[in-house]
Amino acid sequence: MKLTRDGWTGLACLVASLVLFGFTIGLRDNPLVPIGPGFYPRIVLGISAFLAGWVLVQSFLQPPPAGKGGANYRLVAGVFAIFFVYVGAMPFLGFRIATLFFITALQSTLEPPRGAKGWAIVAVTAIVTTVVCYYLFEGYLQVLLPRGRWTDF
Amino acid sequence: MYELLLAGIENLLHLKYFLPLAIGTLIGVVGGALPGITNTMTVIMVLPFTFGLEPLQGLAAMIGVYIGGESGGLITSCLLGIPGKPSSVATMFDGYPMSRKGEPGRALWLGIWASFFGGLLGGIFLVGTTGPLASLALAFGPWEYFSLFIFALSMVAGLTGASIAKGLLAGAIGLVITIIGNDPVMGQPRLTLGIGWLEGGIPFLPVLIGVFAFAQIMGDVEKMGRSSVDPAADLVIPKLVVSHSKVVWEILSRPVMLLWTSFVGVLIGVLPAIGGSAANVMAYDQAKKFSSHPERFGTGTPEGIIASEAANNSNVGGSLVTIMAFGIPGDAVTAVMLGALTIHGIQPGPLFISQEPKLAYGIFAAYLLGHFIMIAIMLVGVRWFLRIVLVPKSILFPIILVLCVVGAFALNNTMANVYVLVLCGLLGYGMVKGGLPLAPLILGVILGDQIEINLVRSLMTDENLWLFFTRPISGLLLFLSVASVVFALWQHKRAQKKGAVEDDGADF
Repeated sequence: MKLTRDGWTGLACLVASLVLFGFTIGLRDNPLVPIGPGFYPRIVLGISAFLAGWVLVQSFLQPPPAGKGGANYRLVAGVFAIFFVYVGAMPFLGFRIATLFFITALQSTLEPPRGAKGWAIVAVTAIVTTVVCYYLFEGYLQVLLPRGRWTDF
Repeated sequence: MYELLLAGIENLLHLKYFLPLAIGTLIGVVGGALPGITNTMTVIMVLPFTFGLEPLQGLAAMIGVYIGGESGGLITSCLLGIPGKPSSVATMFDGYPMSRKGEPGRALWLGIWASFFGGLLGGIFLVGTTGPLASLALAFGPWEYFSLFIFALSMVAGLTGASIAKGLLAGAIGLVITIIGNDPVMGQPRLTLGIGWLEGGIPFLPVLIGVFAFAQIMGDVEKMGRSSVDPAADLVIPKLVVSHSKVVWEILSRPVMLLWTSFVGVLIGVLPAIGGSAANVMAYDQAKKFSSHPERFGTGTPEGIIASEAANNSNVGGSLVTIMAFGIPGDAVTAVMLGALTIHGIQPGPLFISQEPKLAYGIFAAYLLGHFIMIAIMLVGVRWFLRIVLVPKSILFPIILVLCVVGAFALNNTMANVYVLVLCGLLGYGMVKGGLPLAPLILGVILGDQIEINLVRSLMTDENLWLFFTRPISGLLLFLSVASVVFALWQHKRAQKKGAVEDDGADF
């Protein structure tokens, strides 16, 4: 029997619920209060495990939905990767430098620039967004944006 | 009540409140006109800008976005046949054919004025019912609150998506997110896996931002580079000159339909998570059913435009009632507003209107004034908003993601919230790909803490579990919870037999 999309969803949620349920067993009750810290989590995780099981069983009983196909998953993975690098680099490079690189990289990935005009649009968008965000949030809205550990900028 | 409302309107007319409302409405119209950018996304983008503002300034900006967004979506629906957002889909059914017949101005302004009148009718409902409903909720104890939140969650889980099991599972995942962190009674860490920044729990705004931003952006990214059709490639701005008095008369000469479809919108707004898109389509359907010429629907009849646009704007009023009276967001936009309020230390719910009357009536005033501002903005710039479709998504998406990061970081100036954003971005996209609806997840995350606190409070007051069933209001709400799940199961069975089951159609 082959697992469908819903089957994988149900299985993943079932495993996660059971693992987390296992962690709640280590939570100790307190004699001062009638309800321990694990009481509610066990109810919630028990319910989620049951529902995940229901989805899993249902996936075997019902035909899988037809896939739409044609999705550009390579681009999706690329966007996620650039975003992870951006968030990971921000504490080291600071908001301004990381954002400048992020916008340049993401724009170029989503729609590769054509010629000097294309690159100029990318550069202007990156610089304007970074500068406007920085001065608007730090100067006007009193939101301190991250400074870089390496750059102190 | 009316004195307070007038004072609220007077207060809102001060530049410090009026300006955020007007700018918010303008941003909402622009965001609404952009195909693929929902109101939720626009309000998420605006959120970080509200952190440094007073609560009423921030809320006025968000309400402006909400109203502007509901109306802005009809521009591209009517003129290009591309819905600016899901809640303008039904507007397109008659708006676009009317434009094609050579009456683009009439189609557009019928929608705009219907939005205005529908919105004002929603406003009457909002002002008139929030107080009485909040008074009713004041009689609630922890048992009733627990049951109310369970009812909201079960209803959302039942009404969204193709499978009741998946809807309920998504809600349960939302609840699981809220049990991570210190327990509310003794402060003992739970499920933190030794990660320090998880001990304080997971705030719901980064979850909401991450889930929605990535689910939507990645959905669009999937399609990029695959389609060679540019919707704006042959964009021609049509003449939009029209007699406003004639258009207004066309709407007001159908008072029963206007009232009924606005009521449908309000009613759907009151239900958690069933937002503008359902209101838009259901009101269109109602107008068609009650029309003496149903065959004209879809060919450019004014009734189709009026019904769908009146409903999606009155829907906003309904959504605001739920959050102000019960603290339960009616849709994702009001969920973000709830987050903005909690950042300022304000808890919406039954006590909100009595404890924060200036803010509550300021919200009413912003809602009512927002519609007048929307009309003014449309009068000045509707031709320009059509050009918005020319802005490439490759420029928009990076800016949106940067604003998401700033929004998450600025909550309490820590990268931990940005990491939550990243994880929830993955979760949101994964859930969409796994066929799980997002609405119950978000409602679970928002209500999870309250469900636990009220359960613990009730059991610490009296360990008798039967009280949940024997206290009349609590028992009724639990009965309705079960009934909503049973009804949803029956509906899904019926839909399966007809072969008409569709995936997530919620607005959350």
